[in-house]
Amino acid sequence: MTTIHFASGASLAAALPDLRTHLSSPRTRSAIAVQQAILQAAREYLTGEGFTELLTPIMGPVTDPGARGSKQVDIDYYGHRYKLMTSAILYKQASLLSFGKIFCIAPNVRLEPLETANTSRHLTEFHQLDVEIAGASREDAMEVAQGVVTHAVHRALDKAADHLDELGRSRDALAVWLDDPFVRITHRETVRRLHELGHAQDPETEIDWAGERLLSEGEKRPFFVTDYPKGSRGFYDRESAIEPGTLSNFDLIAPEGYGELGSGSEREFDYRRMVARMRETGENPAKYGWYLELVRGGIPSSSGFGIGVQRLTRYVAGLDAVWQTSMFPKLPGVVSA
Amino acid sequence: MSTLRADGFPETEIRLRAREGAAAAFPQGTDYGAALFGGGAAQRASADPLGLARLVPPVFMPQRLEKLVDLGREPLYSDVELATDIGGLRSPLPVYLSALGSTRAASAEVGEAASRQAGQLGLPMVLGENVVAHGGYGRTDGAPERSMLRRLRVYSEMLPEGLGGVAVQQSTEDADAEVWNLVYSDPSALHLLESGRLAFELKVGQGAKPGLGGMTLVDPSTAARLHQHYPLEPVHGTGGFLRSSSPGTYTEEILRQQIRLMRNNFPRAQVWVKLPPARDVAAAVALAWQAGADAVTVDGAEGGTGWAPNAFLNHVGLPLGECLLRIGRGGGALLASGRMWEGARCVKALALGCRAVGLGRAALLAADEDRADGLKRFVQCLALEMRLLISALGRYAPRDLKSEDVWLPHNLWSPAAPIGAAGEAERLP
Repeated sequence: MTTIHFASGASLAAALPDLRTHLSSPRTRSAIAVQQAILQAAREYLTGEGFTELLTPIMGPVTDPGARGSKQVDIDYYGHRYKLMTSAILYKQASLLSFGKIFCIAPNVRLEPLETANTSRHLTEFHQLDVEIAGASREDAMEVAQGVVTHAVHRALDKAADHLDELGRSRDALAVWLDDPFVRITHRETVRRLHELGHAQDPETEIDWAGERLLSEGEKRPFFVTDYPKGSRGFYDRESAIEPGTLSNFDLIAPEGYGELGSGSEREFDYRRMVARMRETGENPAKYGWYLELVRGGIPSSSGFGIGVQRLTRYVAGLDAVWQTSMFPKLPGVVSA
Repeated sequence: MSTLRADGFPETEIRLRAREGAAAAFPQGTDYGAALFGGGAAQRASADPLGLARLVPPVFMPQRLEKLVDLGREPLYSDVELATDIGGLRSPLPVYLSALGSTRAASAEVGEAASRQAGQLGLPMVLGENVVAHGGYGRTDGAPERSMLRRLRVYSEMLPEGLGGVAVQQSTEDADAEVWNLVYSDPSALHLLESGRLAFELKVGQGAKPGLGGMTLVDPSTAARLHQHYPLEPVHGTGGFLRSSSPGTYTEEILRQQIRLMRNNFPRAQVWVKLPPARDVAAAVALAWQAGADAVTVDGAEGGTGWAPNAFLNHVGLPLGECLLRIGRGGGALLASGRMWEGARCVKALALGCRAVGLGRAALLAADEDRADGLKRFVQCLALEMRLLISALGRYAPRDLKSEDVWLPHNLWSPAAPIGAAGEAERLP
């Protein structure tokens, strides 16, 4: 355990070991082996379903505005302010002008609030398995998300069983749900359950970290939370036409207390509605020049999702913290390799 | 004394208070018995209902009786308890330091002196939009004088435990700089965040120029640095450029969702919203409270440190008092700023429904008068004056004030029903 002291007098406890110890640890080797099985399975599944793998940019004049207070990384690009990608969302939507079904496994950087250093599931640098499907509904995207996760767990059990055993991961805990569809519950129902459990969840916001852990701990199989309220997500999550004020989106939550694996939605693609949504999320449309120009000219309707590779690895491998799945982990506020 | 000026503002009186503290609440001692008092001030008041209003103590004071019973002796002005919760931040009196802007008048030494003294007093402080855009954040470049980080540090150095806090503004243009994300994830602000003393203020509009975005005059070298981010116009030849921000577009849904997103993204920070003196201010205030804002500030159509066109200063925006009358009492935490410098205007605003008032130019002038203690003496005087006025009304805490404590010429009462009046029998005549 390392305690980081800031100039302001504040301090932060973080559990990063010495780098040599971490790199030569059998635990790290097994975690990466499980991750390799997951990545191979994801590519196998998605290419089998007709998806094209793309290499998306890692910097640009604008990126996913994100949520929950994480800061983007600015870089000086020949005197212009560029951003490192916080997610591939804008490029994924644009890429549908070339291909109808795409995926990428791309690095993301988000300077998360310091309080997330101790959630066991935040890294400031991580990879995301990003999928986007033209003309698809949210339900279509959820089917693909379930398919890819299920296939990945199958492959991990087949190909990395020794490593799961080495890590002490119960294979039965994974195998138990492989033939079942993921349960879906709405955000409203989730809030109701949390209130019943005595957790003071704000009904108009994201499920907070503690609430999410509480929900996750009570489940044995992954599940979807759908229909988040407007005001809790980025401008690209489409507002429901049937239920205004609700977004046609979802989170995929791992069981056993591991928490959120990823998020997805039906996307906004209508120019006028998108500009209004940008303002509703506090964004200045001026900086989204290239993107809005494409949207104005027309982009396909779509649905898609992003799953955190390290989070999925942590869940499958049954690890205490997500940093254990990264060779060179970066925790919020902590200086490391 | 520096060359800082505030034409048309009671600069002399403010500087006097900054030098003399509580003594400045009274006429010069040398005039006692030799001069008649009472003229002047009323004639100088503007068309603002707050200027024309009078505080009107009653003969019968049931709350004074309550206090008498409580104390077991006749209450005095010194028994008025001024400590107030201001949008989740605790203050020793119903006063906070308004955003001082990014212009030269508010920067460097004077702005820093005001920030330091506000911190020493435990007054909540608003850090203005554009500070990051103009002065930088200061994290990787040693916190230069005008940076956000320097302001934060200077304010926090001697901040008493449990008092004060910082509200960081962000406007539409600032969204590019992600000021809130930056502060929320910064180690320097962690102690404020963890002690519940960090607020974020959504700046919906400008007090001195409702309908426009922020404006400052910048020199050619600054203009060269900013040209990528802002429209610049050489209104003063090539020597001075007008730098304008876009005001940002709001509808009811946009404001509602922006507030909800603030709550979603920054669950540990207080949410403040700053509104211009717009004709639909009452509806906007009600919406902001309903969407979950911890405080809503109405900035009167007054001057500031920024640059406002004369046409706006003279002809645009509701007077602050009219805003307060339209909003009414009884809603959430309402804050007001605009020409606040002496106790009577502040107490009138409190009686009309405000939780607290913001010091802007007055704080700058006071800090300019004496960089070490000017604002502290000024606030000492203001606190005394507020205690005198509130006790004269038979009240012993700002929250006990009511609109019946204020008299206005009848033609100035707003015909509109105040929106915040639910549950309180204070419909204005």
